[in-house]
Parts: sequence; C-alpha cells; structure tokens
Amino acid sequence: MSWLWRGFRPILESVLAGLIGLGAGALIMRAWGYHPWSAYVVLFKESFGSGYGLASALANATPLILTALTFAIGARAGLFIIGAEGMMYMGAMGAVALSLFKLPAGIHALLALLCAAAAGILWGLIPALLRAYRGVHEVISTIMFNWLSHFLAFYLVANVLVDPVRAEKTLSVAKTSRLPLLMRGTDLSLGIVVAGFFALLLYVFLWHTVIGYEARAAGANPHAARYGGVSPQKTVLLVFALGGAVAGLAGAVEVMGRPPTYAVYSGLTNIAGFGFDGIGVAMIGRIHPLGIIPAAVFYGGLQAGARLMQMEAGVPFEMVRAVQGAIVLALALPELTRILKVFGRRLKVRREQA
Amino acid sequence: MNWAYFWSLFSISLHAMVPITLTAVGEVIGESAGLFNIGLEGILLLSAFTGTLGARAGGPILGLLVGLATGFGVGVIFGLICAYWKGSQMIAGVGINLFALGFVAFGLQVLGSPGFYTVPRAVQLPPIRTSVGAFSPLIPVALLLPFLIHFLLNRTRLGLRIKAVGENPEAADVAGVPVELTQLCSTAAGAALAGLAGAYMSVSWLGSVTKEISAGRGFIALATVVFSGLRPLLALAGGLIFGFFESLATWIQSLPGVKEVVPWQFISMIPYVATLLVVAGVIGRVRFPKALGVPYRRE
Amino acid sequence: MAQFLLRAEGLTKVYPDGTLALSGVNLTVRPGEVLGLLGENGAGKTTLTKILSGLLSPTAGRLLTPRGPIRFHSPKDALKMGIGMVHQHFALVDTFTALENVALGLGGISLPSLRRKLEKLMEDTGLRVPLDVPVEKLAVGERQRVEILKVLARDVELLILDEPTSVLTPVETAELFKFLRNLRDQGKGVIFITHKLKEALTVTDRIVVLRRGKVAGEVFTRETTAAELARLMIGTEVEIGRRPVELALEGEVQALAGAPSQGEPVLVVKDLQVRSDTGELAVRGLSFELYPGEIFGIAGVEGNGQTELVEAICGLRRVESGEVWLLGQNVVGRPPTELYRLGMAHIPEDRWKYGLILPFTVAENAILGLQRRFHAAGFLRAWAVRTHAARIVREFGVQTAGLFAQAKSLSGGNQQKLIVGRELSKDPKVVVAAQPTRGLDIGAAQFIRDLLLRLREEGRAILLVSADLDEVLALSDRVAFMYEGTFTGLAGPAELTPETIGLLMGGVKAEPR
Repeated sequence: MSWLWRGFRPILESVLAGLIGLGAGALIMRAWGYHPWSAYVVLFKESFGSGYGLASALANATPLILTALTFAIGARAGLFIIGAEGMMYMGAMGAVALSLFKLPAGIHALLALLCAAAAGILWGLIPALLRAYRGVHEVISTIMFNWLSHFLAFYLVANVLVDPVRAEKTLSVAKTSRLPLLMRGTDLSLGIVVAGFFALLLYVFLWHTVIGYEARAAGANPHAARYGGVSPQKTVLLVFALGGAVAGLAGAVEVMGRPPTYAVYSGLTNIAGFGFDGIGVAMIGRIHPLGIIPAAVFYGGLQAGARLMQMEAGVPFEMVRAVQGAIVLALALPELTRILKVFGRRLKVRREQA
Repeated sequence: MNWAYFWSLFSISLHAMVPITLTAVGEVIGESAGLFNIGLEGILLLSAFTGTLGARAGGPILGLLVGLATGFGVGVIFGLICAYWKGSQMIAGVGINLFALGFVAFGLQVLGSPGFYTVPRAVQLPPIRTSVGAFSPLIPVALLLPFLIHFLLNRTRLGLRIKAVGENPEAADVAGVPVELTQLCSTAAGAALAGLAGAYMSVSWLGSVTKEISAGRGFIALATVVFSGLRPLLALAGGLIFGFFESLATWIQSLPGVKEVVPWQFISMIPYVATLLVVAGVIGRVRFPKALGVPYRRE
Repeated sequence: MAQFLLRAEGLTKVYPDGTLALSGVNLTVRPGEVLGLLGENGAGKTTLTKILSGLLSPTAGRLLTPRGPIRFHSPKDALKMGIGMVHQHFALVDTFTALENVALGLGGISLPSLRRKLEKLMEDTGLRVPLDVPVEKLAVGERQRVEILKVLARDVELLILDEPTSVLTPVETAELFKFLRNLRDQGKGVIFITHKLKEALTVTDRIVVLRRGKVAGEVFTRETTAAELARLMIGTEVEIGRRPVELALEGEVQALAGAPSQGEPVLVVKDLQVRSDTGELAVRGLSFELYPGEIFGIAGVEGNGQTELVEAICGLRRVESGEVWLLGQNVVGRPPTELYRLGMAHIPEDRWKYGLILPFTVAENAILGLQRRFHAAGFLRAWAVRTHAARIVREFGVQTAGLFAQAKSLSGGNQQKLIVGRELSKDPKVVVAAQPTRGLDIGAAQFIRDLLLRLREEGRAILLVSADLDEVLALSDRVAFMYEGTFTGLAGPAELTPETIGLLMGGVKAEPR
C-alpha cells in the first residue's frame, strides 16, 4: 500500500501543482483584463481537442523531452544543470553545419544527429571539468556558458552558416538530413520517436545499469556513494556528457524536423527557450525520464494552444511560461500532498457532519 | 585615442556596477541567513518591468519603489516556501526565473510592443549632472549601501542573529532566535535590493525594458557573492570588477576600428568569461555558512 | 521559597513515526538540589529534557511552575521561565566568539555591559573562558563552559545538563561537579542527565530512573546503591556481552600489555598520521596489529581521532604518513571498494552518511559497494540483487515492509542490521566496526554485540571502536585507549581498574613494562 502511494504521490503532486499554476495564470489574465475561462477553453480545445492539436502538442514536446532529460539526469546525480539552453543552441548549430556537406539520405541525418550530440557534449565539457576538479558550482558555470553559447550562436547564424539568399536565417537543413514527418500537414516528425527513445534509454540507464545505479547513488548520498566505490569526478563527467548529448539532440530535432523553416533564425527566435522550459518540464515530470514524456506533452500542448489563444482571445502566448513558473514554484513545496490530505480530511469531516 | 574614451569607460562601469552590487549585497544578507536564491535573475527581470509600470503611473521614484516592493514580494514568497515550508531552494529559484521570463514577455506584449518597451524620458529618473558628466543618483546609493550592510551584519545584534541562523540554526533556535522569521526577513530584504536593482535598470540606467534586460546579471551577482565570501565590502569590489568587464565589452565595441576586426559577439562574451575565471580562481578559499541551502527542521 | 521549580505531570510523547518515547512521566525539581536523570540509551531522557526546555511539545501531559500550568512553544519560552538547557551536542555558532555566542538572542543589554556581566559570572563560578576567540578554536571543555555561561547569563533558576561529561576528561568532570554543587548551594535547581551510575551517585541529591519511557524508580542518592540503580535502569540484571564487566583490580597506572596473540596479524598499522577536516593532525603516529580471532577494542572519549583513524584505515580519508597493511599488502591510497575485495568490511560510525542511501530501497542498499558484482554486460541483475537482499533481511532479521521499501522507513536498529548484513555478505577477514551499537535499542545492540563475538569465534579479526566503555571492555580481547591521536595504553580488560581507565582516557600514558 505504501509503495503504491509512493508511486502515486508524485503524479498527484504534479497534477495539483498544474492546477495551482493554471490558477495563477488565470489571476494574471484577470488582472490584465482578459477573460481567463474563455482563454483556457480555447487553449485546451485547440491543443488536446483535435488530432491536429495533439500533433502540434507532440511536436512541441519533442525538444522539451530532450532538454528536460538533461536536467533530470543531472538532478538524479545531484547536479543542477541549467545549461541545456546553451547546449541546445550548439546542437542546432551542429545539425545545420552538417548541411554544408553532401551525403546520402539517412546517413546524413544520422551524422547530423551525432554531430549535434557531440556539440552538446563539448559545450558541457568545461563546466563539467570545473565542477569535478575545481568545485565550481554548475549553476553559475552553466548559466555563463548559456550566454557564451548565445553569442557564439548569434555569430554563427550571422556570419558562418548564414543563408546567402536570406540573411535573416541560416542555411536550411539539407533535404537528405531532414527527419520525415509522421503526419501530413502537421509539424510532427520522427523527432518525437528519437526523443521518446532517449527517454526510455535514460530510464533504463538510471534504474537498470550499474553505472546508472552509481550515478543515482552519487546524487542521493555522495558520501555513501564514494564509500561504495563511486568516483564523484567520473560521475560528474559522465552525467554532463549524457546531458549535453540529449540537449544537443534537442537543438537538432528542432531544426531537422520542424517545417517549414528547417533553419535557425537570427536572434535564435525559433529555438530560444527550450532549454529553460525543459527545466520546468523535468520538474513537472518529477525528474523521472518516463514522467517527463507526459509532462512535455502537457506543456507542449499549452504552447500549441497558447498560440491559437493569442489569435482568438488576444492573450499573449508567453502567459503559459508564467503558468509553468508558478507550477514549478508550487512543486518546490514538499508538503503539497499533505495539504491535499488535510483538505480531504476536512471534506470528510464536513460530510460526516452533514 | 583620447581621454574622453577612458572617461566613458569609467562612467559606464559605475552604471553597470549598480545592479550587480545591489543584487549581490542583498544576496549576501540572504545567504548569511542560510537561504540561497537562484531566482535573482527573475527578480531583476520582474522588477525592471514592474518598475516601468510604476514610473508610468507615478513617476520615477514610484517606479523604484514598485521595483523594490516587487523584489520584496517575491522574496517573501521565496522565504515562505523555503524557510517556513522547507521547500527546495533550488526549485523555488528556478520557478521564479521561469515565471519572470513568461510574465515579463506577456506583460511587454500587453504594453503593445513585443519584447521591447522604451520608458518615456519624462518618467525616467533624472541623472545628477556634474561638470564631468551625468550620473544616476543610485550610484552613490550602491557605493554606500555595502558599508551600511557591513555594519549591520558585523556590528549589530540583528546581524549576529542573521549569521547565527545561517551558520547553526539549531543553536540560534535554542538561543531563542526565531529561525524561520529571520530567514524570511533576510531573504526578502535581499530580494528587495535586487528589485531596486531591476527598477534601476529600466527606470534610470537603460531607459527601456526587454525580455533580456537582466542578461545574466542575477547569476553574475551570485558569482559575486561567491567571490565575496559573504563580505559586503568585497561584494562591492566584485560589483565594480564585473561592472568594469561589462562596460569593457560595451566600450571596446565603441572604439573605432575594433568592430571590423573582432565580431561584436565575441566582445560581448567578456563579462561572462571573466565571471567564470574569477569564480574558478577564487573557489575553495571561501568559507560559506554551514547551513547554507539546508532547510532547518527541529528534531 | 517555592516548593518546586518545575513539575511535570503525565508527560507522554509519541513521535510522528509512531515511536512512544515517553508515557506518563511525572517529575518534580526543587530549588537547591541536583536531580539525576538516569537511564540507558533510548530510555527517553533526551526526549524528556527537550520537552522541559521547550524544544518539543508533549503529546499529552502538562508542565507546572509555581505560578501555574504552562506551555512552552520554543526554548525562548522556557528561558523566560528561568529554565535553561546545555545540550550534549553544543548549540554554539562555531565562527562566533564566546561573547557573541552569549549575546545571541539575549536582548536588552549592550555588548560592553554583557562583557562585564560575564566577567563577574566567571569570577563567581570559576568557569573561565577566553571571550574573544572563535569558539571553534576552543577545547571541548571550554566550549561546554561557554554553553553553561550562555544559560547562566540569562539568570536561570533551573539548569538542565544533557550527558555533560561524555566529552570531558576526568579532571574537567571533577571541576564541573564542583561547579554544580556550588550552584545548588546558591539555591538553584539542576537536572543532571547521565547513563553513568558513578556520576549519578557522586553529584546528585535525588535520582529519577527512566526505563523505556517510564519512570522506573525515584530514590534519594544517599539511600541507594549502584546495584539498585543498575537494577532499576536495566530491569532485570542482564549480562552484556561475553562476560560481566569486572573492574576489581587495585593499583596505579603501570605497565600494561595486551593478551598474547597468535598467528600472523591481518591488519598492521604503522606510524599512521591522519589529518582532520580542519587540517590538524588528528592521528599522531599510531601503530598496532590486529590478529585473526580477536576483538581489538579502541576506547576513549569521542573526538580524540577515532573517526579519522577508522576513515583512514577504510580508505575514506587521506593518509598523511605511515602504513596500513591489510593481509600482507600496503593499502594506503587504495579506494574502499578495493579494500573490500581484499577482505575488509566496514560498519561505519555515521550510518546515515556512509552506511546507507536513505531514499534508496532496501534492495538497492543491500548492494552498495557490491554493485559491480551484480551485473551482466553493465545491466543490474535484478533477480540476483533481490535474492541477495532477501537473504540479508532473513538472516539478520531486518524488519521491513519489503525489499522495495525505502531505507529511511526502517528503524535505526534495522538500518544497522541491514548495513551489518551487507558488510558481512562480503565474507570479510577483517571487520572494522565503528560505534556499532550507538543509538540502538537494547535488543538490536545485543544482537550486534553477539554477532561480533560470533565473528570472533569464526576466526575473523575485529577492530571495535566505541565510545561505550562498558561495551569495549566486555567484548574486547585487548583494549587500547586513545587520547589526542595516540594510544595512552594497551591492555587486556582484566588488567584494568577504574582508576587506570580514568587516567588512560584522560591522557596519562602507561609506562612500557
């Protein structure tokens, strides 16, 4: 019974936090004079009410699953990696860069994914080394690397990978290197399969391999882990590498599988934010690789719906990110389910009195 | 190259120093009491925006006060979650940052300009004009405040209590210091200073708000706190150093002939690289409160 | 003068996890007396005093002062009523000076006048400490004085001391007792908590004995005997360990030698030097040998380098200089996992730090350090892990809701059994047991002690480090006393008298024979 509750509780907490977040969003909209109820009706009807909406939700979820995995695997190993954003930029650049070469279809895409993963790993290398051997806290170093990545990507978009015809974007990813669409007329590409595959892979890694066991041990109790023969340095390097790889892939699937652009726009407007949103998604998914999938679909759906909500109800779509922030704040509370229990008890008492 | 160029470097440095110093010195108070707030970035962003709204409604002073109040309010929420309800400081901080990203982008959109809003000159804080140039009135504030907080932390009983709560909350509790309340007030006061810093950026220094106005300054302030080892005067020194590097980037780009050789994107990386180097060089020699980041629970 | 300072009626405490720590305890403290509170570990002494000093609130029952019933919501409330507590673990801010520590939370008085007050207080009580040095630089005995001054500076009427002598040398203890009598003569009340019979008989006027959360008896000190107290404390007279502790021999500190040992030593430590976390030499040139089939006990007041010694031997702390030979190999600098492969097991002192990963399941904890034994091509063999864990749970009687229950859901005794079971599943030739029964209930402690003796019978070598003197004396073939990083003496338990033990623990070296 207790183990059932242990599995069920995180789900319940996430749902509760989600409701709190939506409530906070409603308050904000109210304060700015919008009508929250009709906005939410539009939002959820458009995102989860139709096949097309669902496909958009999944398409939006694709990079978020991957960046959330970066945060989740770090958190499981006791690292607070908020550098997925910068790693993801580099991954996108890596994937676009491979379009400079001519290769047969399939192999080309595979190589582009590999290149993106390598770029992500590379971008995590210095923060990983600084953490492992100098004790520099990864929050500070990864944020600084996000900014370095931001400017480096700006430079690459404007000077190196620039489209000679349209200067506001990079070269488009070569046709041979694009991920095929799964549903005609939607954005949903094979990328979702890639993302799902990696979520599954990291789940198996964390819970069913020796090295994964050691990484989790290092996160839960570094002293006991060291006693059990786990090298903290190796763990940091490995976790950063895995996190960098999936974050790099997040950038890649976005440029290789998102019609019609298949490119990065100057100002990084079409890829910026996935890394930070991934942190929230990871938390809603309770930093569990499999929990991340529904969390990402939920958040991807909010994004998809929010764009239509902006058109129909005039509410700026960025609202959903504020909602996400409120959800994460609610999730910081360890007592969330206890609040729920107390509430339930009160209800029960009231019912008995009646 | 003439003297005026160097003078402009000095002037920008002083202006760039203000938000980092205010935020860092505020965080010194919070961390002394044991709370580690990585949501400073979000607070800067939020208060830069709300400060603008305040200035629009009632002039620059109100703008600064609204920014201060915004920081304080977020700090109270953070303190409630982390000090009273023993929530995760890291997660709560991330929540603040995400919320700020969304809320400010949303708010700017509502103001009518996606991603950018210029504060009307009439409601900007008028600078102090001297014979050597115009300076924001908040520069002397940022220069003096660290001394005040140094005095508060090291020479008053309140400071003793704040530090005790961060170093050994159980001992403080036994001595009758209200641990949670002290933590809440310290972190809220610190966040209020970050709020002032945010409002300064929009209402006084830059005169505009963007989605990226905080530009990592919240995290640079965190790095400054690491550098300072929780000593307010060293936090001021750190603020001056990082302010200098930030303005160095701006300054180099304004030099004739540089832009053509080195792309501006690389020059813009200077403050972030400097932060990394300083933190990597200084770490290990700094001692932090023992209970920093650990929620206090009575056994 | 009031008839009593504080009275407790029917105090009951049930912790959130369901443990019944106190049930229906009545207690009265009068002015001008030292009240002893005696009991074994886990009898409820600490819980009781935490309630008296406002750190905990009782589940049932009430506290009375001469002015009527009262409820404490925090230690501050208790202090307001003139009740101050000196904890076993000092509640001092290490980076603060003595003066600052006293000033903390003491409103309404300026630092200079507080300094004057403290100087007067030090004069009156004889408790001298430097006021302007950070307390982390002070010796343990001095820190305790700071603790006491902290409470006295608030003009308390009732002083509660929780196991105050556990960290003191005999000389410091004697001084403390003098001070307590002095305080009593001034008409103040003292509650003195201890589990040491001798101390209770020496310093108190009246003794309340607690057993399993209940008052087992209340006696006047001058009318009782050690035997009676022991009976009240333990219930029935049980023998701990292999043989009853006999401390009958007379004599001064003289040449001591361990019992003769046979065979090749399995663990040899030579001139070992180890630094503590603060960088000071905590182990200063220690040498000893451990033979198969013996229990080698290291006794001594905690904080004399035992922790660092054990961590260094077990590969968890850097060795400054010297050698550690395990089964014929110098293992200095080798990681813990390699030591275990060579035949060492370690029951760590701090089981929440090194022993267990609390959020992990019982099964996951059962393979910590052994995880590389349970893989096939990098994957954990779930079935093998489960069988292994199930065997430990069965053999060692670990009470758990299941193999997939979190380790933090287990009671302290069962957590320790899980650790011990895991370590012994390594089939070790050398077992390093650090404070193996600390904080355990009597049943679990007895289980562990019996187990150590069984391991000895099986011919394994056991290094037992414990602050529980009775335990070391009862179990060990040879006992070494550790003081400030060196051994002050090495003896068979039968060679020792209470005086020799006291002197050895207090740092007086035995001359070589």
